[in-house]
Parts: sequence; C-alpha cells; structure tokens
Amino acid sequence: MAKKVKSRTVVVRLISMAMTGYFKSLVRPRTHKPLSMIKYDPVVKRRVLFLEQKRGRNR
Amino acid sequence: MATSADFIRLAQTLPPRLTRFFARYPPNTANDVVKNPFKPTIHPVTKKWHNPVYSLRRQRELVVLARDYGVEDLLPPTVKKTAVREKRALEGPKMKKMRLPKGKEWERTLKGRLEMREKAMRGMPNLIERWRKAGHGRGWTEWPR
Repeated sequence: MAKKVKSRTVVVRLISMAMTGYFKSLVRPRTHKPLSMIKYDPVVKRRVLFLEQKRGRNR
Repeated sequence: MATSADFIRLAQTLPPRLTRFFARYPPNTANDVVKNPFKPTIHPVTKKWHNPVYSLRRQRELVVLARDYGVEDLLPPTVKKTAVREKRALEGPKMKKMRLPKGKEWERTLKGRLEMREKAMRGMPNLIERWRKAGHGRGWTEWPR
C-alpha cells in the first residue's frame, strides 16, 4: 500500500497571549515558519499578540 | 467512688433549670426511647406519634447549659449532644448534592482566570516589544503548547 501523502498545507491555531482562551484558526504551508501576529481579542477588547500553538499528538 | 453526698454537692452547684430537669428525669433513668423526654413517642393504644417533651431548641439549650457545668453525660441521649454533633460533622452532609462544591465550575474558577488574564495583559506591551525585536516572530522560540 502506498504511503499516505501529507497535504501541502496545515491548519494551525493561533492562541491569544492574553490567556483568554480566544484563538484563530489559519491555514499555512507546512514548510512555512510558525505564524504570529497582532490581532484583536474580543474578550479583553484589545489588540494582543497571537502565537501559533505547537503542533503534536497531545495539543 | 462517688457517693450520694457527692451528687448532692454537685446538684447544689447547678443552675435551677438543670436541677429541675434532673429532678424530673434523674440520670440513667430516662435513657430508653420510651422514657426519653428528648425523643418522640408513639401512643400504645392510638398508635399516634407525640412530640418530645422538650423541643429541639430546648434540648440544645439544656445541652449547652449542662456542657458549661460539665454534666452533659448525665442527660438522656439526644442528637444535640456534643459527641453526636461532632460525629455528624465528621461524616459530612448526607445529601448527595450537598457534598458537591458550590457553584458552577466557571464560577469557581472565574477569579483565578481573571487574575491570570490581568497578569498577561500587564505583561503584554513588554511581550509585543520582545516579539517585534525578534523580527515579528522570525527568531521566536517560545511557542505556546
């Protein structure tokens, strides 16, 4: 049986560094560096830093 | 060995409320359920239940008074006695719902979560500055789990 081909892109979760549990799901190329950006967090009503969650078995 | 003279001397130190009670129900004479003035009784003929001679409020008052004078053991058995109350307090509530912690989980953890959020927001300008200096994430290593 042929080996399962991995998709070119991955869905990643960017979580708010305000520790509110708010997150954004984005799609990026698998080989790209991890995403991070400043975005609005509606829980604290501020623009805060969002960092990509580490991917792995138990995330 | 305590003699009757000792008991008389003890009785003279007690307040009138207790001496009246012990005159009516001397120690160790009212311990069984039928004679106990602290327990409800069933009428032998009519099978009708009758209230205790002393209400729970008055039982508690007598027990507290007797405890202060150190003669609590001489009272007939009652749920208001210190030993019974301590035992019941140790056992905890019988009802299943009362053994659960109070409030919803989001209510119980709200304070801690708000504190964590405030702490994170205090450090936010610093964090963003570090992130900017690290090339907007290019040299970043502290990815959250």
